Amino acid sequence: MQNRTANSKQTATGRQQAQPNPTTQQPRAPPQMVQNMARVTDPKHVPKDIRDQFLKKIHFCSQPYDFNDDTKNVKEKQERSQYLQELFDLLKEPNFVTNLVVPHLDLIIEMIEKNIFRPLPILKKTATNGEIGMEDDDQLIDPAWTHLQPVYEYFLQLIVNEQPDVKSLKIFITHSFIQEFLELFDSEEPREREYLKNILHRLYAKLVPRRKMIRKAINDCFYTLIHETYKFNGAAELLDILASIISGFAVPLREEHVIFFKTVIIPLHKVQTCQFYHEQLLRCSMLFLSKDPTLATFLVEGLLRYWPFANSAKEVMFLNELLEVLEVCEISKLEPLIPKLFKRLIKCIAGPHLQVADRAMCFFENDYFLTILKSYKPFTFPLLVPVIAQIADTHWHKVLQESLNALKTILKEIDYQAFDKALNTKDPKYLYIIQDAKNQKKDRQKIEEKWKNLTKQALQKNPNFKEPVVPYSDTHIVGEHNGLNNGNITIL
Amino acid sequence: MSENPFEVFIEDMENEEVYLRVNAMHRVRIICTLIGVENIRSQLIPYFDSLLDKEEDEVLFAMAEELGNIAELMPDQSKLLLNLLEKLVSFDETVVREQAVNSITVVCEYLSDPEIVNIIVPMWLRLAQNEDNFICKISAVSLMSSIYGRAGCQKENMRQEFAELCKEETLMVRRAVASKIGEIAQEMEKTYVIAQLLQVVKELCYNEQDTIRQLCSMSLMNIARVLNSQEIKANILPLIILQAEDKSWKVRMSLAQILADVAQILGQEIADFQLIPIFTNLLKDCQSDVRVEAVKSLLRFIKLISRERVYLIIGNIQQLTEDPIAQVKQNICEVIGQVANLLPKQQSQNQLRKCLFQLMSDENWEVRRNAIKAMGVFAIAIEFEELNKLIPHLKRCMNDPKWRVRKETIQTIIQLALQLKQLDIFIEHLEEVFVLFLRDRAAEVRSIGLSSLCELISVYKQEWALGNLLKKCIEILEKDGGSLFRINALYAIQQICFAIEGPQIETNLWPIVQKYLKDPIPNIRFVSLKVAKSFLKKIGNQNISIQIRQSIYGMFEDPDRDVKFYAQEALQY
Repeated sequence: MQNRTANSKQTATGRQQAQPNPTTQQPRAPPQMVQNMARVTDPKHVPKDIRDQFLKKIHFCSQPYDFNDDTKNVKEKQERSQYLQELFDLLKEPNFVTNLVVPHLDLIIEMIEKNIFRPLPILKKTATNGEIGMEDDDQLIDPAWTHLQPVYEYFLQLIVNEQPDVKSLKIFITHSFIQEFLELFDSEEPREREYLKNILHRLYAKLVPRRKMIRKAINDCFYTLIHETYKFNGAAELLDILASIISGFAVPLREEHVIFFKTVIIPLHKVQTCQFYHEQLLRCSMLFLSKDPTLATFLVEGLLRYWPFANSAKEVMFLNELLEVLEVCEISKLEPLIPKLFKRLIKCIAGPHLQVADRAMCFFENDYFLTILKSYKPFTFPLLVPVIAQIADTHWHKVLQESLNALKTILKEIDYQAFDKALNTKDPKYLYIIQDAKNQKKDRQKIEEKWKNLTKQALQKNPNFKEPVVPYSDTHIVGEHNGLNNGNITIL
Repeated sequence: MSENPFEVFIEDMENEEVYLRVNAMHRVRIICTLIGVENIRSQLIPYFDSLLDKEEDEVLFAMAEELGNIAELMPDQSKLLLNLLEKLVSFDETVVREQAVNSITVVCEYLSDPEIVNIIVPMWLRLAQNEDNFICKISAVSLMSSIYGRAGCQKENMRQEFAELCKEETLMVRRAVASKIGEIAQEMEKTYVIAQLLQVVKELCYNEQDTIRQLCSMSLMNIARVLNSQEIKANILPLIILQAEDKSWKVRMSLAQILADVAQILGQEIADFQLIPIFTNLLKDCQSDVRVEAVKSLLRFIKLISRERVYLIIGNIQQLTEDPIAQVKQNICEVIGQVANLLPKQQSQNQLRKCLFQLMSDENWEVRRNAIKAMGVFAIAIEFEELNKLIPHLKRCMNDPKWRVRKETIQTIIQLALQLKQLDIFIEHLEEVFVLFLRDRAAEVRSIGLSSLCELISVYKQEWALGNLLKKCIEILEKDGGSLFRINALYAIQQICFAIEGPQIETNLWPIVQKYLKDPIPNIRFVSLKVAKSFLKKIGNQNISIQIRQSIYGMFEDPDRDVKFYAQEALQY
């Protein structure tokens, strides 16, 4: 029931977005101002009374109202919407834009700032249903949105309009303006983010001299997401913009862009909320690689480094990306990463999550990946064969067992001798990967014994010696030792 | 047999599993103790250095922490570790970097002042001037407070460089400045705090980023610690007022969180005259989260201001009891209870009692629970005046559908009864609501009631126990259908037995329990056995004692296995 209402709301808003200005379609008496303007014969000299009227309306729309409470200032709010509509209509008359809007851009931008630059509200869900980590279909609605939307629409049309030129706009689009503008991307209102995206995109396209500054501000935004807040609602939208920025980069890439790839694009993968923008992130990554394929190995390294822990949905995403990126990699460059790569895949295949295992198995259907496998046969066969052979016999799921057997055949076909040799090794080195915890503990006994001895010696040498507490043991929680319980972590 | 300690360490560090390497890293202290300073320098440090490029963040985090511990083992030589630490503080993983900053602070403790000036300060300057990596600058800001105090002739230099850091455009660096500037103020000479830091913090308070302004609240408070009241009034107070009127609710909220601490540091005079208006505004804030935080700070704040000014806040408190947000009301309850202690009795009675009554019937159960707890404190504060008005409310709460509310109610009733100490008033008012625990649906409530009986009997004496209380128990045992309630009544009798003497048990209690040893329900027989066993321990009269034993003996053939077992066990005593 709830879903249905949410959906209908969404379709309603979708319609609204498609036709941002529905009022123009209805027969309506032309607003006073446009009417007045019609009698102006020489647009170069706008009569004073019209100018005053225009300024009065701008001023009126700059007044702040409490939009969360519909019962307050009802009349003013109505008036405000009407004025905004009139101002919007004015943008359609090129003459007036040149003679009325452009000379007063300062006041107009100020009006826009006063409306949209605001502390973002916390949108609370009324019902506390929905499990943690579940995606909520119920969109949160900012009650102020209906009043903000016309301002955004006006701003967008102002930028789209050809009349205000770069020179006159540039003055207002300062670093602090962009910074505050980017803050708004954290809004929980998706329609607001959509407008922000479109506006920023066009600003970037239009204001060539401001591009570098805008990129830097976006960088800062991502740094904050990666290092401090771990959550930013507008990450997907910003990456959308970035994607088109990146496609415009000249080849070869400038060093600045390569640094961006390494310090922003790759670390963005490790953020816990990565799922919300992964699709866009992947697009940006691939665009970068299409410009400079040598970056692929860095990305593979990053993916293996930031491999998700206890989050199988994210693991599946990583696997998808990994395979795509590997296809771009030059095989000879991969050498240092081969052990880590194959061990990771084995862990995924042997892991308890079926979808993850299934995705990992897909790698072996990829020709380029098989070429990589063949190129590093001396390493990959001794690793893969015994492990695959063992899980092919013991796996709990029938379908996976079948594909594991198929994989065995593939490996055998690649190199029968190497396969046999690897299979008949007496003490396979890598079987421990699929070992259960109990056996691993047994294997540890010898070295643990050595540590115990050393501790004793240390105590003899220094009676004040404090025995170290190791974080990973059966008796306590690791979270207390990895520095992550600093209050900044968002649990999704 | 003796292993080479370093080799054992390497063996573990080459393990495939990250968690084992992390464990090994944490054990490096053992190795260091055994191999000595020379080998640390020649073997361990180069080995660590080789790890920096290839290791996982988890291991490096452990390394950053352990370097601080290693410093402890070689206080004279700890500067050997600085090279590694300097590399770690420029790492882009936040937790690694922060840990490395901490370890540098540890190392600094072992260094002499000249070493600080000649080694640490130049390192700090390198970090602060690193134009390629803003992370180094953040680390420099974090390190400032632990180095500056001992920087001697380099202080001037550091201050200048810090001024540059404050102008940095990267938001991350600004935020670092905003959050650390309070700590730095503790170390800096007051003239420079006033000349330099105040200017910076003022600019940050006007920054357009609300996250930065938010961090300023805490820093303002810390800077105030080193200033006198005149300087606070001139410099800090205007900024706090600015924060209280900030357009962002996040800033107002962070101020509300610490406003009690601010009041403590700024002193009673400023609190009385300047902070009360700020506080009352925050209590009326349009954003509920701000109100919640303000209410949480309220009690501590009230205790800091002069008593004669408390009345200024009463109006707000009354208003908050009608707040639409449950969380606000939950928190206001405790305040009301405690405030009653600070106000003249008459005043609290008139103004606050009604609020509490209203909260006790709130629709949110947590509000009700907190209100009841507060009511207990309140009633004691006004010395039980007009107790009769309270009883209907307590009665309603003892019938609350939420057992946690009833638990709080019974606890409050017990507290009141223990404080009251007047039998006639107790019987007139409280007793009727107290005995409701005997028939409560929740075991928790029943057991709390039971465990209070001994203490209550010692206050209200055995006449009450053997009179009204016992009568109530018998009533339940005879008339009540629910076996759980009857079991509870039996346990109550057991409690009575603990509080009185043998002869009374013989005449008043035993005859009742005797009857229930033959109850048709096995659980009742089982509990009666337990109670009878407690009687045996206290009864002096030989005849009765034998009588009890015989009754128990008669249950050796009980059809219920547990009853049988327990009967046998009871007699072994």
